[in-house]
Amino acid sequence: MTTEPEQPAPPALEPVEPGYKNVLRVRFLIFWLAIWAAATVFDRTALQDTEFAGFPTIAVFVVAAAGVLTAPQRIYARLHYRLTEKLLQVVRGWLFHVDTVVPLVRVQHIDVTRGPLEKIFGVATLVVHTAGTHNSIVTLPGLAPKRAAQIRDIIREHVRTDFA
Amino acid sequence: MSEPTSLDDAAVGPPEHLHPLFLLTGFAGSMRGMVGGYAGLGYLAVSGRLQTALFGAILLLLFMAAALLLYWKRFEYRVGENEIRIDSGIVNRTHRSIPFDRIQDVDITQGPIARILGLAKVKFETGGSAGEEVGVLQAILLGRAQELRTLVRSRRGQAVAVVAGMPAEKIPVDTPPIYAMDLKRLFLAGTFNFSLAVFAGLFGLTQTFGDVLGFDPFSRAFWLSVLSAGGPARDFIIAHQVAAAVAGAVLLVLIGIVTGVVRTVLTDFGFRLDRTGVGLRRRRGLLTRTDVTLPVNRAQAAVIATGPVRDRLGWRELRLQSLAKDEGSRGAHVVAPLASDEEVDDILDQLGWPPLPPSIGWVRVSRAYVGILAAAMAPLYVAAIANLVLVPPAGAAFVAALLAVIAVRFLAWSRTGYAVDGDRLLTRIGWWRRRITVLPARKIQSVDLRESFVSRLFGVSSLQFGVAGGGMTGHSIPAIPRGEARKLRDRLLGFAT
Repeated sequence: MTTEPEQPAPPALEPVEPGYKNVLRVRFLIFWLAIWAAATVFDRTALQDTEFAGFPTIAVFVVAAAGVLTAPQRIYARLHYRLTEKLLQVVRGWLFHVDTVVPLVRVQHIDVTRGPLEKIFGVATLVVHTAGTHNSIVTLPGLAPKRAAQIRDIIREHVRTDFA
Repeated sequence: MSEPTSLDDAAVGPPEHLHPLFLLTGFAGSMRGMVGGYAGLGYLAVSGRLQTALFGAILLLLFMAAALLLYWKRFEYRVGENEIRIDSGIVNRTHRSIPFDRIQDVDITQGPIARILGLAKVKFETGGSAGEEVGVLQAILLGRAQELRTLVRSRRGQAVAVVAGMPAEKIPVDTPPIYAMDLKRLFLAGTFNFSLAVFAGLFGLTQTFGDVLGFDPFSRAFWLSVLSAGGPARDFIIAHQVAAAVAGAVLLVLIGIVTGVVRTVLTDFGFRLDRTGVGLRRRRGLLTRTDVTLPVNRAQAAVIATGPVRDRLGWRELRLQSLAKDEGSRGAHVVAPLASDEEVDDILDQLGWPPLPPSIGWVRVSRAYVGILAAAMAPLYVAAIANLVLVPPAGAAFVAALLAVIAVRFLAWSRTGYAVDGDRLLTRIGWWRRRITVLPARKIQSVDLRESFVSRLFGVSSLQFGVAGGGMTGHSIPAIPRGEARKLRDRLLGFAT
């Protein structure tokens, strides 16, 4: 399932950089390590004398391993974007699928951000702010830094400040 | 004090303080902000340490007074040639400058105490992220507030010279208001504002504080003891159980109506909407009088709300979603609490928006709107059945509640739809709280097309529109067949770009 069957005009939808998978993997790993550590401590202290002793440690480990091994690949495979002359479209998610379209003239300002993990794996996140109250911030992670800067420059041409 | 510019710079203007009486009016505000402190004191007092509690209370008061005095002393504003500067902060100083060009409007609010003292709170509306206290002068003289408003408007080069130099209360009233509420209308609106919130509040109190009152009117025992006390009354009630139930219901309705009327009179007394150079000017309020101008070109969307009864009688409430934020919690500006269709059209006309077409060709959303909810509640069915087996009465109530939820959703479905009227999107939702939203396509900031694993089974998506400002529950259309949703999105974005 690397492509969604219902997406329109597939050639125009671009995938993001494969490096983004690694960013996600490390993020998930850190997240689940914390959960697993907490579960283990809870197990050792609270459940030691009950019949559930050892259960959280193993169960959380299994869930965490499954999550870290499978989720990043899937999230990556379902994240696409498209930049046309007038629109930026970001398509993501499967269980909760969201297909966001932002007209470029509606963009208020743009950020390109890079965290430490993103720097290591050579990707950047494009953050587009609109005046909206709902989804006023649209993020597009996993872009090559050059591409992110390029998109930023394209959008910048369209940025206006009036609302009317 | 390290000011960013020298003190006697003419372009910046002389520093001004808040009115000294702010020390009085501001006290009420900081009293309200100290809820946690009261809880602590209350605990101390209840647990018998009265002296400690008293000492704490005095300390708290001193602390508040000192904080207030420091705030007042360290708060300065200057009215310059092109901007207003506000320097504030006791320890961390903030120097904020708000260019006149960026100020959308100046809101003037007067609470009851402030009205007696002739003070007003001034808020400079900027287009920026709303919600923050960006530019609020807590208490200055009303006259100065109106001067500021006039100044800001004239500096922005808007055609509001008519208002210049005139105190707000004495604007010539030759031009009749676009919309105003007389007393009759006010009370009618209050009746529709029927609310049993009082009971919810009472219920919450008795649940939280147990028998602070010495009795619990929500327990059976209380009523049994009340009834057993008076012989004749009890006999009467038992003999006329139906009559008693009816009387109780009537009382409930009466209390609900009175609550609604009181609330409405407090907020909407003397409601008046005028057309001014920049936009619509709204004045309302009995104790706290507010005076707000909504610039016409900042209006993002309109909501026409009504209920089943009001709808039948032809009454609507009109709210505007604007970039300027309301002082209240609602987020949207009520421009007409109770208006007829013609009055709504008049107000829309003042915004430069065409009236709603007399008959709107609503496209209904998919029946899946009901199905999705029914499917999403699947885990509850298991619980309901288990209940039915184990505790039949509770289980029956549970099942009835689930059925009621689905029935309500079905009623809502029958009224949920959308229509494209020229270059704007009309959406209609709700059966009990009926709403028609008018959203001009060029005000759409972004569009989300959403699917979840449940809605995918039904082949439907929901559309969610990002619109600037306002705190409304968002603009969305639930459960449209996938293909239609895409078509509608592309069509609306075609207008938007």
